Amino acid sequence: MKLLKIGISGVRGIVGESLTPKLVMDFAAAFGTFVNGKAVLVGRDTRISGPLLHAACVSALASTGCDVRDLGVCPTPVLQSLVVKLRAKGGVAITAGHNDIAWNALTFINREGTYLNPFQGAEVLDLYHLGKFRKAQVDDLGQVLDLEHYADDYFEALRAFLDVEAIAKAKLRVVIDACNGAGAVLLERMARALHFELIPVNTEPNGFFPHDPEPRPRNAQQVVSVLKVVSADVGFLLNSDVSRVSLVSETAESLSEEFTFPLIANEYLKTHRGPVVTNLSTSRMIEDVARIRDCPIVRTKVGQSYAVHALQQEEAVLAGEGSGGVAFRAFHPAFDGFLTMGYILETLARQGKKVSRLVEELPRYHIVKEKIYCPPARIHSVVSEVKKFFRRHEIDASDGIRVEDKTGWVQVRTSGTEPMIRIIAEDESKDRARARADEIIQFIGVLAP
Amino acid sequence: MKKPSSLKISISGVRGIIGDSLTPQLAGAMAQAFASYVGGGHVIVGRDARTSGPMLEQAVIAGLLAAGCQPVDVGICPIPSFLVLTKECRASGGIAVTASHNPKEWNGLKFISRAGLYLTPHQIEEFLDIYHQGEFAFVGPERLKPVRTEPHPVEPHFRKLLAHFDAELIRRRKFKVAVDCGNGAGALLAPRLLEALGCEAVFLNAEPDGSFAHASEPTPEAIAEIRRLVPRIGADVGFVQDADADRLALVDEKGRPLGEELTLALAAHYVLGRRTGSVVCNLSTTRAIDDIAAARKAPVFRTKIGEINVVEKVLASDPPAVIAGEGNGGVILPEIHPCRDSFAGMGLILEAMAATGKSLSALRRQVPSYVMIKDKLEGSAEQAYRLIVLLKKAYEGRGRTSLLDGLKVDFPDHWIHVRPSNTEPIIRVIAESRSAETAKAALRRLKGQIAELRKRI
Repeated sequence: MKLLKIGISGVRGIVGESLTPKLVMDFAAAFGTFVNGKAVLVGRDTRISGPLLHAACVSALASTGCDVRDLGVCPTPVLQSLVVKLRAKGGVAITAGHNDIAWNALTFINREGTYLNPFQGAEVLDLYHLGKFRKAQVDDLGQVLDLEHYADDYFEALRAFLDVEAIAKAKLRVVIDACNGAGAVLLERMARALHFELIPVNTEPNGFFPHDPEPRPRNAQQVVSVLKVVSADVGFLLNSDVSRVSLVSETAESLSEEFTFPLIANEYLKTHRGPVVTNLSTSRMIEDVARIRDCPIVRTKVGQSYAVHALQQEEAVLAGEGSGGVAFRAFHPAFDGFLTMGYILETLARQGKKVSRLVEELPRYHIVKEKIYCPPARIHSVVSEVKKFFRRHEIDASDGIRVEDKTGWVQVRTSGTEPMIRIIAEDESKDRARARADEIIQFIGVLAP
Repeated sequence: MKKPSSLKISISGVRGIIGDSLTPQLAGAMAQAFASYVGGGHVIVGRDARTSGPMLEQAVIAGLLAAGCQPVDVGICPIPSFLVLTKECRASGGIAVTASHNPKEWNGLKFISRAGLYLTPHQIEEFLDIYHQGEFAFVGPERLKPVRTEPHPVEPHFRKLLAHFDAELIRRRKFKVAVDCGNGAGALLAPRLLEALGCEAVFLNAEPDGSFAHASEPTPEAIAEIRRLVPRIGADVGFVQDADADRLALVDEKGRPLGEELTLALAAHYVLGRRTGSVVCNLSTTRAIDDIAAARKAPVFRTKIGEINVVEKVLASDPPAVIAGEGNGGVILPEIHPCRDSFAGMGLILEAMAATGKSLSALRRQVPSYVMIKDKLEGSAEQAYRLIVLLKKAYEGRGRTSLLDGLKVDFPDHWIHVRPSNTEPIIRVIAESRSAETAKAALRRLKGQIAELRKRI
C-alpha cells in the first residue's frame, strides 16, 4: 500500500513510495500556476528527504515563472510571517510536521501567510489534475534567490508582540527539545531575542529525529531528565516545523499536548475577548476556560487550514488544537511554536507562578486517543457505519462522528495524514473515557476485521 | 509540412525548448532513469551558463536523489573539465545541463558514463529503455544521500593540460592573447590556463551569465568584437569559445577569422608533424585533414556525425589516434581526454606557434585552403531520410557516395553532405571545395534538387 494524502493544504506522502519527484514537481507547478508568477518563499524542515523535495519544488516553481526566495531550513510559522512581510505571492513549506521521518509533505501558503483555504486548495488541486501548468519562456523563468538572515524581521515582530522586559526580569531557565527539526537552527536566536536562559536538546539539524517529532509525553523523556538535572522553570517539545508545542512542568511532569492551548487561553482571554476556535477533537478544557471569560467557542474540522480560516472569518482572538498548535490573530494566522513558547514564558513571568500552578487552575479531564488501521478505500464508509452505534444520540457529523453528553464526548474520524481511523474520547472520569473509546474500537473491529 | 518537434531525444542526449518541451518534470524523470541505469553512487551534475540552467539542474538533482544517487553539484563548468572530473573522481556518471551552441531558448541534458565519455549509442539505448519503461529506482529516507558540492571542478583537467603541453616553451614567448568566452563556461578555466602558460590575456564576454552577447555559433558577425580587439592590442591570436567550451574558433593576429574548420586542421598539422598515428574525424570535416594526413602518411578514419562516434573510433583506432575532432572547432587530444576540448585546442595552437616561431597567419598558410559552405533547411529526420533515398539515386554514378550518415558524395574537386541534425529538427546541407565558386554551385545544385524532390514527397 503506497501512502499518499492529497488535501486542500497540500500533499503528504512517503519518500521512496508515493512522493515521487514528478508528483512534487507537478504539485509545485500547479501552485506556481495558481499564484501566477513572481515571488514565492520556499522553506523546509530538516528531514533527510527535504533537499530532494526542495530541488523538485524550486525547479518546478521556476518553470512556471515564480521567483523563488529560498529560506533553506525554516520553521513554517516564520515562513508564513515572511510571506506577508515580503509581500510574496505565497509560500511552500516542505515539512511533515509531527509525522515520522519516512513522511514529507508540501504545504502551500497563500499571500496572507495562511494555509490555503478550501477554495484555494480546490483550485490548486484542479490545476494539478488538469496538468496544464504555466510554462515561462526562457527570459521569464523564475530566479532563485537565497534569503539570509531572514529571521531578523520575524524575531523583531515577536519581541514587539511579547512583554520582553517581564520575561527578561524573570530570568527563566528553559529546556527546549527541537527534535533536530527546523526549530534547531533558531533556538539560540529566540533565547537572545526574549532573554531567557536556554538549555537546548536535540539541536542537530542532521535530517534524523531522535524520537518521533510529535510533542507529547511519550516523547518527553529527554526533556524530563535534562530538566531535573538543571532544575529549569519549564521544558518545551517542538515538532519538526515548530507549529506544535507541548510542555514539561518545573516538577518534571510531562504535560499532555492538550494543555498547551488552554494554558495560553486562560491567560490571553483575560485581556482579549472574542471567539475562540478549536477543532472537534480537542479537549473540553478550552470550553471551560472560554466560558469563564465569556468567550464563545467555534469548533471546526481538524487541520490548521480550517482552524486559521475560522480564526479570520469569525474574527476570533485565538485558534488552537489539542495537538499543541496555537495561533494568535493579533500576531498572525498561523500555528506558531515560537510565539506559543514565548507567551507561556510571558505568562510565567507576569504571574510569577510555576507551570504546575498554572496547570492546577485548569479543569482536569481524561482523554484517550487511539488509532486503528483501515484500508483507505473503505475508511470513510467504516467511519460512517459507526453512526449505527449511536442510533439514539445526537451526532455531529462535521468531522467524522462526534457524540457528546454531560460528562464527556467521543469522536471517530479518518486521519488527515494516514490510512488510520482515530478514536478520541474524553471524560471527567478516566474509566469512562477509556470505556467510550473501547466500545467504538470493538464495534469497528466487527465492521473491519 | 509538419511542424518540426521541439524535443529531441537522440544519441546526443536530450534537447528541448524551455517553456515548451523541456520541463523540470522531463529532466527529473530523465535523471531518475539515469540514476537507475548507473545503479547508485556519485553522479556529477553541472551546467553551462544558460539562464535556464539552474532550474534544470535542480530538477536533475531531485531525480538523482530520489533514486539514491549522491549528486555532486559542480555548478557552471566547461564540459571537457566536467568529463575529466567524472572519470578522475570515480563517479558512476554525470549529467551535464547544456545545449552547447543552440540558441538560448534551448537547453538539454547530456549523459556521461563513468569513463567520462558521453554514453555510447548502445548505452543510450539501454538507458532510454529504462526511461521509457517508466519505473525508476526510488529510495526511502534511510538510503537518501545528501547533495555534495565540488568547489574546484576544473582542477583535474587543468592539471592534465599543464602536464601535457610544453609550458616552459610557451611561457618564453610571452604571448598576448584575446579570448571571447561567449559568456559561457569557458571563463572558469581559460584565465587560469593562459596565466599558467605565461600569456597576457584580454577577455571578452567573460561573465558566465548565459547572456549570449552574440550568437553562439562563431560566425564572422558574431565575433566582430574580438576581430577588432586582436589587432588593436597587438595580440598574437584570438580564441573564441562556445558556451560549453568544447569548441574553439581562431582569429589570427591581423583580426581575420580562420573559420572553424581550420582549428582542427592546424592542430592536426602540428601534432602529425611530431607524432605518428592516425586521425579520426567525422564525415563533414574539411578535406584539408586528408591532405595534411596524406603528406605524413597518416591514416584518416571518418565517422558519423556526433562527438561520441568520433570518440568511439578514437578508442578503437589502429594505429592509435594522436589527434581527432570535428570541423566545427572541436579538437580532441586523446592523450588528455577523448573529448572535444577548447582548452586543448588553445594549448596546441600556442605550442605550435611557440615551437615553430611562426605567427598564426603563417601557420594557416601551411594548411591547404578549402571553402566550406553550410546551410540548414527546415525538416524532420523522417523527411531527411526520404530525401536521402531519392538523392542517392540522383547522384549514383556521378561521385563516390557514402550512406554512413545521411548522404555524402565525394567528387574529385568537391564534396557534398546532407543529413538530419542530431539535435534540432533541421536538415543540414554542406558543400566544400578549394574554390568558393565550385562549393557555392554544388550547394545551389543540391538545394535545388532537394526542393525539387520535396515536391514529390
